[in-house]
Amino acid sequence: MEGRSVVRFLRTRREATVLAMLVIVFLGLTFASEFFLTGRNLSNVARQISVVGIVALGQALVIIAGGIDLSVGSVIGLAAVTAAMVSAATGMPSLGIVGAIAIGMAVGFLNGVLVTRIRINPFITTLGTLSIARGAALLATNGNPQRFDNWAAWLGYGRIGEVPVQFLLLVALTLVVAFFATRTRWGRNVYAVGDNARAARLAGIDVARTRIMVFTLSGSLAGLGGLLLGGMLTNSNPNLGLGYELDVIAAVILGGVALSGGRGSIGGVVIGAALMGLLRNAFVLLNVSGYWQTITIGLVVILAVGADSLNRRREDD
Amino acid sequence: MTALLSVRGIEKSFDRNRVLTGIDLDIAAGEVVALLGENGAGKSTFVNILSGALGRDAGRVVFAGAETVFSTTREAIDAGIIHIHQELSLIGSLSVMENLFIGDYRTGRSGIIDRKALAAASRPLLERVGAGHIDPRRTAGELSTAEQQLVEIAKALSRNARLLILDEPTASLTPHEAAALFAVVRELKSRGVAVIFISHRLEEVFQIADRVVVLRDGGVVSDRPVAATSREAIIADMTGRAFALGAMPPAIVPEGAPLRLAAEAIGDGAGIGPISFELRAGEILGVFGLVGAGRTELLEMLCGKRAIKSGAIRLASGAAPASPTAAWRSGLALLPEGRKTNGILPNLSVEENIVVARRQAGGGLVARGSERALADRLWRTLGIVAAGPGQPIRSLSGGNQQKALFARCLAADPSILLLDEPTHGVDVRTKGDIYRTVRDLAGEGLAVVFVSSELPEILALASTVMVLAHGRRTLYAPRAGLGENDVLSAAFVEAA
Ligand SMILES: Nc1ncnc2c1ncn2[C@@H]1O[C@H](COP(=O)(O)OP(=O)(O)OP(=O)(O)O)[C@@H](O)[C@H]1O
Ligand SMILES: [Mg+2]
Repeated sequence: MEGRSVVRFLRTRREATVLAMLVIVFLGLTFASEFFLTGRNLSNVARQISVVGIVALGQALVIIAGGIDLSVGSVIGLAAVTAAMVSAATGMPSLGIVGAIAIGMAVGFLNGVLVTRIRINPFITTLGTLSIARGAALLATNGNPQRFDNWAAWLGYGRIGEVPVQFLLLVALTLVVAFFATRTRWGRNVYAVGDNARAARLAGIDVARTRIMVFTLSGSLAGLGGLLLGGMLTNSNPNLGLGYELDVIAAVILGGVALSGGRGSIGGVVIGAALMGLLRNAFVLLNVSGYWQTITIGLVVILAVGADSLNRRREDD
Repeated sequence: MTALLSVRGIEKSFDRNRVLTGIDLDIAAGEVVALLGENGAGKSTFVNILSGALGRDAGRVVFAGAETVFSTTREAIDAGIIHIHQELSLIGSLSVMENLFIGDYRTGRSGIIDRKALAAASRPLLERVGAGHIDPRRTAGELSTAEQQLVEIAKALSRNARLLILDEPTASLTPHEAAALFAVVRELKSRGVAVIFISHRLEEVFQIADRVVVLRDGGVVSDRPVAATSREAIIADMTGRAFALGAMPPAIVPEGAPLRLAAEAIGDGAGIGPISFELRAGEILGVFGLVGAGRTELLEMLCGKRAIKSGAIRLASGAAPASPTAAWRSGLALLPEGRKTNGILPNLSVEENIVVARRQAGGGLVARGSERALADRLWRTLGIVAAGPGQPIRSLSGGNQQKALFARCLAADPSILLLDEPTHGVDVRTKGDIYRTVRDLAGEGLAVVFVSSELPEILALASTVMVLAHGRRTLYAPRAGLGENDVLSAAFVEAA
């Protein structure tokens, strides 16, 4: 690429802006803290990125299709206690894994059906299931944390060498979902539906099925996220994942997905999740108050999205 | 006479694509200037700059004696430049009357909308543009494209225009509504309003314009009084070479061809129908009628978008489709009316817009190589003008978007083609290409139903003609033996 087109690429793709921020934060931390580049710290960062990243993959598909899924945080909690309780009750950790993902899938499917068949707005639908799923997790456990330390939990706490297992899962799933989004018919239909649902329908795309599919995928990935988070802590708390939907949505938006649907890339989403994880780590390493952390993340999201839409406005309206 | 509008050296590029290369133009008050050119010549870009919808890279604009740089359309409107865009821009969820008086709704200080007064103020505006049949209280989004177009024009009348810009206002109107529009234009002209009129229908230019300005590749290639030019000269200026629309022999209904589709007294239970007809392989059924006659609704019933409440459709390939998805699957292809709302996937590339329907019939994996080859071939056949197949379709000119939607239908390799205003906004040369393509495919056994507001198009292309009026079939006959008047008078049959 010649110089001008590099500049143009940076200017027009939010992924690029966020990637640049990521590199800057990475370099800054390398100089600012001697602990940053240690294997132990990087492995912690990788862990922090993983669950947000995995759940964001599904969320990204939902948002690209023109929807939103607020229920993922609660699904994480529900799936985590499901994993613990099912493996405890049956004595088979593998069933715990299946149960966690299946319960997430079920909530996602329910979201999709409510949105498409009964035509409840996605925001409202998933606000409802957010409450229901959390309530179900509390009800099932009576509010008590569940021990979860069998081999299924290893997916969450385990490492291969220095690399957390869940990070490897994130890498693998990113590749799969990116392939799905760009190279399969169903993936491309997700973009078409989010871009102009009416035109997509008239061009022969099954819009309802596409929407149900993305919600189901998002729910399943949130279910997996719950399994990993519960496993990481070897303890499944029914309140696990509280407020996670905000982090996940922020990562997706930071990664360049348009909230209005139709635009965005899976690669960008993972970069967005990584930036958020790195920022969190920066506050810990630099010993800054956690309150600042919360404020800064909000500022970064507004900055990145604002810069992008200022850039875009001239072309669009 | 001093010019009302005086433009010098307007230039505009999108990235490295130079779209306008320096435009000079003067328009006097009360003058109607036709702005012509092929798809992608830069007409819309130019008028968008005049009305503040787009910024310019270079050049000066003097309007009513003052040097102007409009950075928003609001400023242009306040100065008296009213621009009706090529793509419709009514607010679909508001009523017609709210759209007509958008912004202040005639509320005065109180801020409370007086629905009765608003409706009363709306009716004369609608009547003036020949849309008296539209109830001002209806939701704008429910109207057909052509009706929305009329409302847009009426909206311009509710404002105090000094320069009216009409970007292809007649593309979805029949001669009847177009005539009403021209009457309005003449009236405005007599009050000293200047008009810029963009159209691909050359006969209209001779009806209404004082001057003809032709753009090619972003520059003015000719600027003549209408009396000093001719159809041939305009086409030569637009295309850059002498060019004749080769007359096609009239199409004939193929003898004994297999039946592809039969509609038996179908109706939507809301004023359309009962309508019956048969469609055979190789037949080209042209559907004509006034705006609101039910042409689009008929196509919607055929493709499963609109529920059929009475009667039935039989397809040679199986049951009637229950949804557009099912329709494409059983070999129907649909080119809908209203390319912006119903047609394009705006942020996806031209290529993806072309292959999207075909893809639904394929396997799960996207076959990039063969998709690209196919899009490339259709792209070339239809002469789509764009920076490349990866360009988002929203940044193509209107006519080129339309060509891409036509390509989408062809790519799906259908056995029945349903086209609603297939040449909406397409330039003269490409129209010829589309006609030839449709004829060739019909020769290979494709059955076609097409709706058009252009009578010459119906007569040139159809082998069978159907005319609708007030939701009923008023004419259904082979093209051979029909004259212009037969078709027109059937369109004007009064409601029973
Ligand atoms: N936002 C944009 N980004 C990139 N290219 C653009 C953009 N808008 C227009 N163009 C390009 O500018 C050229 C001129 O477009 P324009 O819409 O002015 O054509 P037009 O003369 O109005 O054609 P038509 O008769 O089809 O409406 C086209 O090649 C189009 O692809
Ligand atoms: Mg145009």
